[in-house]
Order: sequence, then structure tokens, then C-alpha cells
Amino acid sequence: MRAYITRRLLQAILVVFVVTTIMFFMFRIMPADPTTMFLEGGMTEEARQVLLEEWGLNGTIWEQYVLYMGNLLTGDFGNSFFYRKPAWEVLFPFIINTLWIAVPGLLLGAFIGSALGMIVGWAPRGGKVERSGILLATIIRGAPSFVVGIGLLAVFSSYLNWVPGYGMGDPQGQTGLMRYLNWDFAHHLILPLCAVIIFFIPENLLLMRSGVVEARTEDYIELVRAKGVSEKRVAWHAGRNSMLPLITWLFPALAETIAGIVVVEIVFSWPGVGRELVLAVVRQDYPVAQAAFFLLAIMIVLANLAADLTYSKLDPRVAYK
Amino acid sequence: MSQTIHRSVAWVFRALLPIVTTFRMLIQDRFALWGLSIFGVFIIVAIIAPWIAPYDPFAPMMTETGRLMRLAPPSSDHWLGTTAFGNDVLSQLIMGSRVALRVGLVAALAVGFISTLVGVISGYFGGIIDDILMRMTDVALSIPTLPFAIVAVGLLGPSVDNIILVITLLFWRNGARIIRSVVLTERERVFVKWARAAGASHLHIILKHILPNILRVVFLWVTMSVAFAVLTEASLSFLGLGDPSITSWGQMLNTAFASGALRSAWWWVAPPSLMLIALISSLYLIGRAYEEQTNPRLKDHS
Repeated sequence: MRAYITRRLLQAILVVFVVTTIMFFMFRIMPADPTTMFLEGGMTEEARQVLLEEWGLNGTIWEQYVLYMGNLLTGDFGNSFFYRKPAWEVLFPFIINTLWIAVPGLLLGAFIGSALGMIVGWAPRGGKVERSGILLATIIRGAPSFVVGIGLLAVFSSYLNWVPGYGMGDPQGQTGLMRYLNWDFAHHLILPLCAVIIFFIPENLLLMRSGVVEARTEDYIELVRAKGVSEKRVAWHAGRNSMLPLITWLFPALAETIAGIVVVEIVFSWPGVGRELVLAVVRQDYPVAQAAFFLLAIMIVLANLAADLTYSKLDPRVAYK
Repeated sequence: MSQTIHRSVAWVFRALLPIVTTFRMLIQDRFALWGLSIFGVFIIVAIIAPWIAPYDPFAPMMTETGRLMRLAPPSSDHWLGTTAFGNDVLSQLIMGSRVALRVGLVAALAVGFISTLVGVISGYFGGIIDDILMRMTDVALSIPTLPFAIVAVGLLGPSVDNIILVITLLFWRNGARIIRSVVLTERERVFVKWARAAGASHLHIILKHILPNILRVVFLWVTMSVAFAVLTEASLSFLGLGDPSITSWGQMLNTAFASGALRSAWWWVAPPSLMLIALISSLYLIGRAYEEQTNPRLKDHS
């Protein structure tokens, strides 16, 4: 087991290294060269060199690469061209904002989705509940998250005017945790959070439903029923076993569905990492874009690692090779 | 000579057979039939789009008094009204189907090709080749999809070809994994072992014994890839990274959203949204029916 974890960890570090390298060269080799873009004309050669050095852009590409990777190890992502301060400092508040919609969104979506999936899974085969459940879930799954977001915005913000549809409110001098624990913040949070929840429901529903349908034909369910256990308890037995693929699905899903969260942040102008990444690309602020991309990649690697380790713990049949 | 032709015709038929049986299986499922019909309508509309679009999608519409028709509600002249820039919404919508399907189909075919190539080579030969290819897949799987697409399209420049390239680079990885796992089981089947014992070449075994048996999985993966590609293109266009020289549904929503027409012009916002939902859901309906039919444990026995 320990050997497996070590091997898996080393593999994860290697993957992060390769992804970071690809990302570095992608930004440096592309036609848009940051040195020509950010150095104003009429600048003396010395001033230019000073600026280049400040951004780590002098020397050959290999020297830059070694410098960048070295800095990365000490947690230095370079300075933002746009904000003129360390990229990490720029990004940190955005990470917390993203987590505010991503984590509760994923958990609530998984909970509601799997509960509905159990209902659909236990409904009579070929019946009304099953057919409409599957059809609805597939249609919602087919709706891009920005379409869902625009729909929510149009109905609840523009038409009914119940909730604000822009930003995350003004903390008005509140600091620390109190910035988030107030009614205004919650008011702003509702719509983007709903969009993320809706985004997660159908996949969970369909996954849970397949699991329950498969479990229904298993012998142990017959046995439980033969023992005279109530139908509700029988459903619980089948549901619990269907949870395994769901739990392992959850971790990579968090990473994979960053895509959905990026567009939700844009639709609701929610100041998160995804929105900042888009803005950084538009502003050609490479240090921030690189740092945001790096953080998202790390998240995926960690999520996959967690999924593998959980799975090996939950399912005794998985061999630790 | 005639024998080679005869043989290759026979091979094509054998290769097409699983697709035909898949198709027959699909039309037995009511949801899949809907999905196939909706998808078929989109294909027809995309093919005849230039002939049925009433106006040039970028032409500014003028009123009789010579003023720009901004945000005109639906009328007999403009069935779906006009945009804030005076363009005809219906024309943009019809032409938008071309972009969606072009990106979807071209990217999905490229994804299918690369996934199959990597999956078959990796699964069939195993050993160090498998190790190298699968480590590459691991790296590719750790790349966040939309963020990568945003950065790559932002750097390469927004054009349809670049969008197709980026989508292909992103989605081969999952397909390669799935196809490899199917090849792993096919490789162990008796007829493959016999063929090998009889001295058949690797290429012969792959083309004649492996490929026809995995075509169904490839077909499913290509179907799902069309949906992913359409979704990614729409998301990029919505984020303002679409090809500015053509109209796509994501782009229509981007312009509508940016010009604050969400509240006033439902005729501009609702149609592209519904088109995206219909197209992507139709593909998911096909894919779902396929999974349901091939997994014996999910099949309805009652």
C-alpha cells in the first residue's frame, strides 16, 4: 500500500512537471511575444533590460525556463503585467471566490442528483417516471452552463428582479470571514450557485440510476428482500453500493467541470479564477494566465490522486501494483 | 487485381456492418430515434443554409425611412426579429448551424482517428509502447479542458481551424483510454490467437480481427465527441474567442449578452440557446441509448 502511494505520488509530480513545461513553452513560443507588446517605444536599451529582467524575460529561452521553474518551486509565479504585483497575490482572493461556488455546488448537485437518480432507478422499468426522468436529465445535461446561467439571469434577475445578477456584492469594510458571512453576499451567491448545482445534477442522476438499475438484479438484493426487509431498506442497500462509482467520479468531476464553472463566473461576473484566466488571456497578462492555468492543473492532478487512493481503499479488489 | 478489389470491397462491407447493426439497434430505442431525427434535421439545415437563410447574416436591416432596425421584435419580414446591430436573427441562426456542425463533425472525426490509433497501438502491442502512450495520456488528462482551450485559442488567434485543432488536442485522450481497454479484451480472444499462431501479420490482425470488433465503441466515442466539440466551440465563442468572420450560436449569445439585450430581446437570446440544447441533447440521447443497449445489465428484461 505504501509503495503504491509513493509510486502514485511520484507519477503525479512528474505529470505536474510535464504540464508546467508544456505551458511555459506554449506561452513563450507563440507568435505574441510579450516583450514587444509591453515595452513602450522610445525606451532606452537600459530601461528595457531592467524591465525584461524584472519579468524574467531576458536571456535565452532555456535560461528563462530554468529561472521560471526555479521560481515556481519557491512559490513565485512572477509579476502580473497588468496589476504590477505578484501573480500569486493577484490570484489568491479569486481562488477563495471560486471555491465558494464550486464546492457547495458540487456537493449539493451530487446530493440532489443522486437522490433523484435513486428515485428514477427504482421506478418501474419503461414507466413514466423513468422515461421522463431520463429525458429531462439528458436535456439538462445537453444545456451548456452559460445557457443555463443566461436563463436563470433572464428569469430571476431581469424579469422577476428577485436577486442581483452581477458580481458578489460590496463587503463595505468587512474583513476576514465576515466578508462572506452576510446577507448581501448570500444574495449574490444564490444564482451562480444554482447554475453550478444544475450543471452537476444530470450526470449524478444518470450515474446513480445506472448503478441502482444494475444493483436491482443482483442476488444480494433478492436475499435482502427474501428476509422480509421493507422496500425502503432494500432501496438503501442497492443505493449504498451504487455510491462507489459516484464517490470516485466526484473527485475528477470537480476538476473536469472547471470548464462549466469558468463560464458561470463569466455570466454572473463572479470574480473567480476562471474569469480572471479569461481576462488575463484577453489582457495578455501571461504571468497571471500561467499561474491560473497551473493552479487548475494542480487541482486536477490532486483530484485524480485522491480518486485513485479512495478507490483503492474502498474496493478491496483493486490491486496496488 | 480483381481479387484485391473484391477483397477490399468485402473488407469495407465487413467494416460497415457493425455500424449498420448499431444503427438498427438505435432506431429501436425511442429516445435514440428522436436524437437521430433532430440531428438529421440539423444536418439538412446546415447543408442548405445559404439557400434558406432569408438575408445575409451580417447585413444591416433598414426600415422604410432608412434607419437601422435595432432590436425589432419578430415580424412577418423578420420572423425572429433583429439584433442590436440590425442583423436578421433567423439568418444568423440558420448560418450558425454550419459552424456548429463543421466544428463538431471535423473535430470528432479527427478525435476518433487519433483515439483509435493511440488506443489500438497501445492496447495491441502493450509493453513499453503502451507505457509511453499511457503516460502521455495521463499528462493530457491533467490538462483542464476549457482553460487550455481559452489560452490556446487566445494565443493562436480565433479562427475556426484553430478551434478545431484545440478541440482535437483536448479530447483524444479519453477516447484513447476507452478504446485501449476494449482492444485489451479483443486481443485475448481465441480467433486473434489462432491468427497469430497461423503467422498473420500484426497489421492483418489489427485490420481484420481487432478493428471491426471495436468499431461500435469508436462510433460511440465519435458521437460523444461531436457533442463535446459543439459545446467547446459554443463556450469559446460565448467567451468572445470565436471566429469573428462568421456567426455561431455562442457568438450570438455573446453579442446579445454584451449589449445587455437579455432583458429586452428574448427573440435574440432564446433561439440560439434552444438550438444548442437541442443539438447537444440529441447527441447525448443517441449515446445514452447506445450504452443502455450494449450493457446487458442495464437492459430491460421485463
